Amino acid sequence: MRFLATFLLLFSCAISWAQETRTLSGVVTDATNGETMIGAKVYIPEIQKGALTNTYGFYSLTVPAGIYEVEFRMAGIETEKREVDLTSEDVRLDVEMGANVQDIGPVVVNGKAKENIESTQMGQHELDMDEIKTLPAFMGEVDLVKTIQLLPGVSSAAEGGQGFYVRGGGPDQNLVLLDEAVVYNASHLFGFFSVFNADAVKSVSLTKGGMPANFGGRMSSVLEVNMNEGNNKRFGLTGGIGVISSRLTAEGPLKKDKGSFIVSGRRTYIDVIMKNAIPDDSPFAGSSYFFYDFNMKMNYKISDKDRLYLSGYYGKDAFEFANQEDDFNVRMPWGNGIGSLRWNHLFNSKLFMNVSATFTDYEFRFESEQDQFRFQLRSGIRDWGGKVDFTYYANTRNKLKWGANYVYHTFTPIGVSAESDDVVFDTGLAQKLRSHESALYFLDEFNVNENIKINAGLRYSMFQHVGPFTRYIKGDGISTQDSTVEYGKGDIIQFYHGLEPRISARWLLPDKSSIKAGYSYNYQYVHLTSLSAVSLPTDIWYPSTSKAKPVQGYQASVGYFRNFKENMFESSVEVYYKGLNNLIEYRDGALPGDNVNDNTDNLLVFGDGWSYGAEFFLKKRTGKFTGWIGYTWSKTERVFEELNNGEPFPAKYDRRHDLSVVLSYKLNERWVFSSAFIYATGNTLTLPSSWFIQNQDLLFAYGARNSTRMAPYHRLDLSAIWYSKAYKETVDPVTQETIKTKKKLKYNWAFSIYNVYNRANPYFLYIDNDGDFFEGTFNISVQQVTLFPIIPSVTWNFEL
Amino acid sequence: MMRIIPLIALIGLLFASCTKEVEIDIPGYQEQIVIDGRIETGQPPFVLLSTSKEVYAPTDVDAFLNGFITGAIVTVSDGTNTVVLTEVCSGNLPPGTEEIAAQILGIPAEDLQNYDICAYVGLDPLIWGQVGKTYTLTVEHEGQTYTAETTLLPPTPLVNTFWKPEGSLTNHGFSWATLADPAGQYDAYFWEANVIGNAAGDTTETGFSPTFNPVFDDEFFDGLEFEFAYENPHAFGEGMPDSTRFLYAQGDTVVIKLSKLDRVVYEYFEKKYVQLQTAGNPFATPTNIPTNLSNGALGVWAGFSPYIDTLICEP
Repeated sequence: MRFLATFLLLFSCAISWAQETRTLSGVVTDATNGETMIGAKVYIPEIQKGALTNTYGFYSLTVPAGIYEVEFRMAGIETEKREVDLTSEDVRLDVEMGANVQDIGPVVVNGKAKENIESTQMGQHELDMDEIKTLPAFMGEVDLVKTIQLLPGVSSAAEGGQGFYVRGGGPDQNLVLLDEAVVYNASHLFGFFSVFNADAVKSVSLTKGGMPANFGGRMSSVLEVNMNEGNNKRFGLTGGIGVISSRLTAEGPLKKDKGSFIVSGRRTYIDVIMKNAIPDDSPFAGSSYFFYDFNMKMNYKISDKDRLYLSGYYGKDAFEFANQEDDFNVRMPWGNGIGSLRWNHLFNSKLFMNVSATFTDYEFRFESEQDQFRFQLRSGIRDWGGKVDFTYYANTRNKLKWGANYVYHTFTPIGVSAESDDVVFDTGLAQKLRSHESALYFLDEFNVNENIKINAGLRYSMFQHVGPFTRYIKGDGISTQDSTVEYGKGDIIQFYHGLEPRISARWLLPDKSSIKAGYSYNYQYVHLTSLSAVSLPTDIWYPSTSKAKPVQGYQASVGYFRNFKENMFESSVEVYYKGLNNLIEYRDGALPGDNVNDNTDNLLVFGDGWSYGAEFFLKKRTGKFTGWIGYTWSKTERVFEELNNGEPFPAKYDRRHDLSVVLSYKLNERWVFSSAFIYATGNTLTLPSSWFIQNQDLLFAYGARNSTRMAPYHRLDLSAIWYSKAYKETVDPVTQETIKTKKKLKYNWAFSIYNVYNRANPYFLYIDNDGDFFEGTFNISVQQVTLFPIIPSVTWNFEL
Repeated sequence: MMRIIPLIALIGLLFASCTKEVEIDIPGYQEQIVIDGRIETGQPPFVLLSTSKEVYAPTDVDAFLNGFITGAIVTVSDGTNTVVLTEVCSGNLPPGTEEIAAQILGIPAEDLQNYDICAYVGLDPLIWGQVGKTYTLTVEHEGQTYTAETTLLPPTPLVNTFWKPEGSLTNHGFSWATLADPAGQYDAYFWEANVIGNAAGDTTETGFSPTFNPVFDDEFFDGLEFEFAYENPHAFGEGMPDSTRFLYAQGDTVVIKLSKLDRVVYEYFEKKYVQLQTAGNPFATPTNIPTNLSNGALGVWAGFSPYIDTLICEP
């Protein structure tokens, strides 16, 4: 309550400053395609006040009455300046930026300069999609998640993996949002590719510390991905042909300057390659793998105050393995379907509302057939959700947000059917768990004075596990047999709720640097249970139940931020401590099959964890040379009463050192060269520490959990992109002047080399044994498996 | 359900594009006693004692032979009778125990005398396995005591056994059985096969060997009657053509042994075979094998209550 009282006091102080003011508001769009601009800065140099556009391009700036020159800034685009008369009334000013971008020569790149110093947000990175597209791409596939993994405090699960770990949190602790809908499994091909098609993505933002109160339900980070809206001025096509996949995007106006659409598709052709590589008479004929995904988005401006967005994603992976000799066949399809419908409404120049309805569906299936035995396993999660968010731009010192959200979850942790000829095996009911998750929040971002700014918020979250549900109670099989407890439809089986205070503050120092500090407390009501050391589609999402309590935890962080040379260089140092309770793991020796005729949470054990570390970041934003260096020192441990004899053990992604060096050099308008170097302490894993013989079989006893550390991971990737000329030059026969006309077709060739010096990085280690005792040939050894050697690739991209 | 285990192994293989041997520190080794004890209906209790070895320890014959423990006091009790087992060595086995020793050690009976491996055997028929009895094992060694219990449950007879050619083959196929699982109780089974003759008249026994997924319980088929196939655990290895691998030939004579296990022993064998199939695979959780033995011992004290049938592989 003390927190709440302080919060309200500060809030009332901030409100009281608003006197004799006018409000400038509007929407900033890109002149070339009409898309709204996220994060454009609206700035009045005279009074040094400014605002940023939100996810929907909207801004609102309340200032003392007067006539001002207002600047509209966006990275990579010429700054727009407008004189605005705010003496007598509020003004609505919608601005198109970048109309003359091709003709301005060197671009004034100052859009979000100093934002890293001035904002209250800590541990936030916004990625530029154009920059991502110039970085080296694995097999030619531009991948935003892999770029995120190059940031300090973020590490990848394994070679090529999509799962990412933020400040010692698990991959399930990241809230991944695609146009406000949750993405549960953001990867294709066992994690080697992201579900996000770079052609369809407009902006990417990662918040890894001090999560503001409008986000919740996860412990560690928020990854917001917004899709392109489509060009509302003209039709266009973009695409690319790569080594393993191709993609095509079409966009255009639904009604010029009113609404637009974009559809984007991508498909791999690994299956075609495999089909040709595997002869028809091979026992493995019929084995294949492919994935495809499809993005669409439409938006329509109903009025100056109302806009609708409809977004959708559907993607599927299909893996098939056939062994004709053994009459054995496995199919493993999985995929996501995601949709969101959003309505933006402006009540007035200060009050903005967004209402969203979201749908998420993730399903994994495993089907096998051998002789007359058929087996099918499926797992998935389906969410129906709704949310409403209000933003009130009280004045330049004070921005308020509040809202509510609700999600109805249906989890199918595991459903199994098995039959042999005409006998159907009893595999129990296809377990479904249903739950309601909801939250209310309120936050205020306000200036205490010219130097101190605070973002304080409070979130109240609730979670109900409801029936129907069957609780399995396992007997010992001797004196007690297994039994069940049935819950009826709508029965509230378990109710959790909690307050989540969030606060972050910035103190601006006289030397144009700043110190920031943040604290956040979070609840997470869904869990990802993983049997394996690497992320797989077989990982099961599971809700909180009477046994599996919600994860609770806090993060405290403090950082120093400073820019140099007119904001050419950004730098920061952040330290953090994160404490986590009610983490889950499978108990030792659990097997996928144990889920059947049982509740998954009967197989889980519960424990705590902590992580602390320091992150160093230096970025060069402008000039021919750009890039960044990120270094993280961290330690992440877990303690579970029922694992490792109750002793703390390192998390599998505990990494003492993590270094990324990303460089880009723009030689001229035609060539851009980039490189990325990564060094990371090796992952931990559990290997057998001893062996023994039982009834002629060699068996192993495992040592302390995660006590073995693999060799360090390091790799260098290079890329070069050659761009076709954007203009055709002709000479006017009359005036002899050179005339530049824009080419309809623009294209580029992107050349990448992954793992340039062919480092054999460890993917996993295993114990191998072969030979015979009595012949003296028996040997036990540790083998390291490496996935990817040096891989060159080339992709042709075009824009029409 | 175990079908997912081969899948996990398969995914591991798909990505195992490049492998090399590495030297890496594996901390946490502690020498532990390994107790490999069994008792079967009508058979004497038989116990081998050894110690676990560090992963990088020498793996030659000497190291193997030096790992066996002698001088321990091993007793077995059925609640009424308590018998101290006799330590016998491979070069001097009592008559009638050679086959059991050979089966447990994996050494042909005729070669046993070439090695000096000592085991503990209950020579007194009073303590030989009887259905319905629970047997307690106690091992005392170097001041430590290790105990375990196992029960010989009533065996479940098979409804029938038969053989049929596989696919387009005419003279090779799996053997089949029909099992009627008792309803309303927990049942766990262990399956072994011993080929004792073939069409050519060769009567050299292969000895009992477990099939590839030899252990299963009735979680999915409690009270059901169904047919299932089982492989020939002796029909693989070098020189065996792919087309007939794991199959029985027409004319083979097979002794099949379907043993009933108690739950704890089942869990030991279940995890043992999972480990054998997935050890080191990153897609599987590290599987330490649970045991019914106390005081940190590895291994198992296993009671087998078999139903034995003989099948002549003819359509």
